[in-house]
Amino acid sequence: MKNRRETFGPPEVVIRIDGLSKRFARQVIFTDLSLDVFRGEILGIVGASGGGKSVLLRCIAGLEPIRDGAIEIFGRDVDKLTRLEQLDMEARWGVLFQDGALFGALNVLQNIQVPMREHFDLPQNVMDELGYLKLAMVGLPGDAAHKYPSELSGGMRKRAGLARALALDPEIVFLDEPTSGLDPIGAAEFDALIAKLQRTLGLTVYMVTHDLDSIFGVCDRVAVLADRRIVRTGSPDELRSNPGHPWIRDYFCGERARAISA
Amino acid sequence: MLKRNRELILPTRGRAPGFRVELRGVVLSLIATGSWTVREAATLDRELNSLILPIPPSSEFTGEVDVSHVEQLDTAGAWLLHRTVQAWSAHGIGTQFVGARENHSILLDEVVRRAGAMQPAPGKSNALVRLLADAGRTFSELGRDAVLLTNFLGSLTTVLGRVIVRPWRFRGVSFVHHVESTGLRAVAIVSLTCLLVGAVLMQQGALQLRDFGAEALSINMLGVLVLREMGVLLTAIMVAGRSGSAFTAEIGAMKMREEIDAMRTLGIDPMETLVVPRVLALVITLPLLTFLGDMMCFLGGGLVAVFYLGLEHAAFLERLHDAVSLRHFAVGMIKAPFAAIVIAMVGCLEGMKVKGSAESLGIHVTSAVVKSIFLVIVLDAIFAMFLPGLGL
Repeated sequence: MKNRRETFGPPEVVIRIDGLSKRFARQVIFTDLSLDVFRGEILGIVGASGGGKSVLLRCIAGLEPIRDGAIEIFGRDVDKLTRLEQLDMEARWGVLFQDGALFGALNVLQNIQVPMREHFDLPQNVMDELGYLKLAMVGLPGDAAHKYPSELSGGMRKRAGLARALALDPEIVFLDEPTSGLDPIGAAEFDALIAKLQRTLGLTVYMVTHDLDSIFGVCDRVAVLADRRIVRTGSPDELRSNPGHPWIRDYFCGERARAISA
Repeated sequence: MLKRNRELILPTRGRAPGFRVELRGVVLSLIATGSWTVREAATLDRELNSLILPIPPSSEFTGEVDVSHVEQLDTAGAWLLHRTVQAWSAHGIGTQFVGARENHSILLDEVVRRAGAMQPAPGKSNALVRLLADAGRTFSELGRDAVLLTNFLGSLTTVLGRVIVRPWRFRGVSFVHHVESTGLRAVAIVSLTCLLVGAVLMQQGALQLRDFGAEALSINMLGVLVLREMGVLLTAIMVAGRSGSAFTAEIGAMKMREEIDAMRTLGIDPMETLVVPRVLALVITLPLLTFLGDMMCFLGGGLVAVFYLGLEHAAFLERLHDAVSLRHFAVGMIKAPFAAIVIAMVGCLEGMKVKGSAESLGIHVTSAVVKSIFLVIVLDAIFAMFLPGLGL
């Protein structure tokens, strides 16, 4: 799995962030931040709480305006797209928000069908079948389809949110702290699910996380956000054996990280 | 009947952008080509549905779905192929996938394993039954609400008694804060609304009474109507919409974040800290706002009388002075504190009823406004029945 990219020759860059700067009022979030995300990898973004991990995800997904620099997805500058091109691009990525962000007025099946309905003109029976298929793929039982988000547990909401993010078989999925709020068993299952879906669907996964288990369990590469930029990228093992930055040392060589590697 | 092992290619009707169907000997094959993704799914679904199998069901034939020429495959495409395999097998021709490349076969296997989990939606009961059930639920809720409100009034009274005995427990800062937010900050909107309603009352009254030559009587009507009913009702409705809903939202938000539970564990009585200051603040501010509203209605009526109907302002004031008495003013003002208690109680009670979710907060804010306005009007009707009996 870790050598997956070698079979495709030189790695293809699907997201390129170049010299990104961003500030809220007087608070500087990023200065000159650069990052490449390669096709088919699971990239973990780690960083201190309040360090801008979620803001970076929102910038890439086009939810936050950026100040300086460029973000290219599939080789296109996302700031220079026409409205139609943007719609087309949005069908090629999916976002899983922290608590699933399911639409409360729709049941789970309808939630999954929202992107299909918006982007393509599919017959209802096909959408129903595909909806159930996605549910099964994210490990939800069939009877969850007719439940409303308020009737689901946190873990089920995340799975349903993932099913919606995968509704159109996107090439990239963005996950915002997918294992936060789950118990260790649920978190491990979710990690395994992400790894399996990544293999099955050939996804590129961009995962914001705090969870050391996820990083060592599923991430091919880790990018560390500190001091308002990406200070290092590398495989989890590389970062642990050669931190090169005080924050990375504290993070990867702390008490909790040692417990995992033991 | 075809003989086995003869390599015969029969072109069939099955020809579409994404696939072609061929019969070679006893093997019927669907050769999928190009892109099988969700983008093409609608077209492919239509074409596959209109496909007519050229052979009768027979165990002599076998089917295959050849996916070696597929360039792009996603879940939707894989499912359509899987459905075809199922349909052909159900037709009596045992069918399987052939020629899948490695990256496609992972997806195909997954889809084959996961498909068919469809579950029917839970059936909806008869519309009439649902209507009756709804009506029943509404009435039982009405009863429960009445019980809850009475209960709330009871505990409010006990807590108020406790505060009177131990006045140092009274939350002065909170009280002043709520006087400011429900009273002072409502001055502008209450004034403006009452000014406009007073002006409209005067103008409409004068227009209607002009036909009877009794134009001047519209001032009497304005005076009595505003002091007895309009002033207090308008103000109470404005305050219910403004402050009653705010009470629900504030307390409800605290309930959602478990702040109320935290208070209880710290030995703080939410009734004492949250409800009492709000109720008392509104009992002070609503009568004051009602007085302001009365005066603004008169101002509005006076402006219309002077500038629109052309009366002398001294004549307007004299007529108004003759028309109203302290009795009328008292009838209006007496209702204000009661309306305040109803609005504050309903607001706080609805806030306490909020459950964990944001939807629940929205529902209770709406129902606080609806219930408090309704109860204020009921209260007004009750006063209208009893006050004449007291000679007011």
